[in-house]
Amino acid sequence: MPAKDFLKKAFPVIILTAVVAISVTALTYTDRMTRGEIEAQKEAQTESMLSEMFPEMGRYELSDDIYTIYQDEDEIGYAFIAIGKGYGGNIDILVGLENDTTLKGITIISHNETPGLGTRITEPSFTNMFAGLNINDVALRKDGGQIDAITSSTISSVAVIDAVRATAVEKVKLIKASEEGG
Amino acid sequence: MGKFGKEFAKGLVLSNPVFVLALGLCPTLAISTSIDNALGMTLAVLIVLIGSNVIISLIRRFVPNITRIPIFIVIIATLVTVVNLIFHAKFPDLYESLGIFLPLIVVNCIILGRAEAFASKNPILNSIADALGITVGFMLALLIISFLRQILGTGNLAVFGTHLFDLPVLKEHPIVIFILPPGAFLLIGLIMALFKRTGVIKE
Repeated sequence: MPAKDFLKKAFPVIILTAVVAISVTALTYTDRMTRGEIEAQKEAQTESMLSEMFPEMGRYELSDDIYTIYQDEDEIGYAFIAIGKGYGGNIDILVGLENDTTLKGITIISHNETPGLGTRITEPSFTNMFAGLNINDVALRKDGGQIDAITSSTISSVAVIDAVRATAVEKVKLIKASEEGG
Repeated sequence: MGKFGKEFAKGLVLSNPVFVLALGLCPTLAISTSIDNALGMTLAVLIVLIGSNVIISLIRRFVPNITRIPIFIVIIATLVTVVNLIFHAKFPDLYESLGIFLPLIVVNCIILGRAEAFASKNPILNSIADALGITVGFMLALLIISFLRQILGTGNLAVFGTHLFDLPVLKEHPIVIFILPPGAFLLIGLIMALFKRTGVIKE
């Protein structure tokens, strides 16, 4: 094939390659510029959610995915993230523990539930039901628990309830094990 | 009316993206559940559509016909990601409220549709006018749909946390289907039919 024809055929490929190269450069550069700030942003968000849940919080430590909350040098609680399987995908929930049996409260961090229905899991009328509950009471009333499902959002409600209970039970075991060990 | 004004005005009704071009229906179904969402999506579309129309209009003479679609897609996806990252880093409050809309824009065919149908054939100024007009048209459509979905599906109207009014019977018995995506399809169809019947939209 003559060189001229080859160039003519290759031209669209060269342009596309150039566009992709510019795009990759732009993305890499933006990622580098913003990564630090985004990390700081996320950390600040976690801290503000924790201090909202534990107003007396002085500082917190993170180890093995469990936040230990301190006021001065005393441990005043724990927090961790539970992931529920909702109607529209994962529901990330920040769960606070007062001690190894009682919940401090929950905050919905992110979710993809149906707007107007499942999104009501984020409202205080739902999340407040968890505050001060014994871990074993985190279940629907009909299952012997203390929580009412949101009308016409049963899947979302149960996803939150199950994730909170299951993760709390698991994390309490870890907390107890590490206290006995240390 | 100048060329700029004409390109702007056509997006409002004559080639309204939702009701006439039937573009961007997927994000429309997803987010037209409340007025807040409608305005958030409008802002996100405004930023990305102006950016993509300008870039594509600028490079339109260098884009080979045969690879134009992949080139447009790469440019739009890059633009959305860059805007997303910058918002996340620099404007955390705005990102908080736009966070779900920006990624959705990648699949918003309004952006690609305008790149292909307009910006790749027209100079920059007209492409900006087109972007503005289409965005305002999109906003009008979203506002009509989300207003109806919100009051029919939840029985009340609240905008940015300010509660405006309750509807007496619907408050206790909201018509839940209007909040769900099938309800949006029903409404869009009914509104289109109404607009065509009354001659607002010409075939």
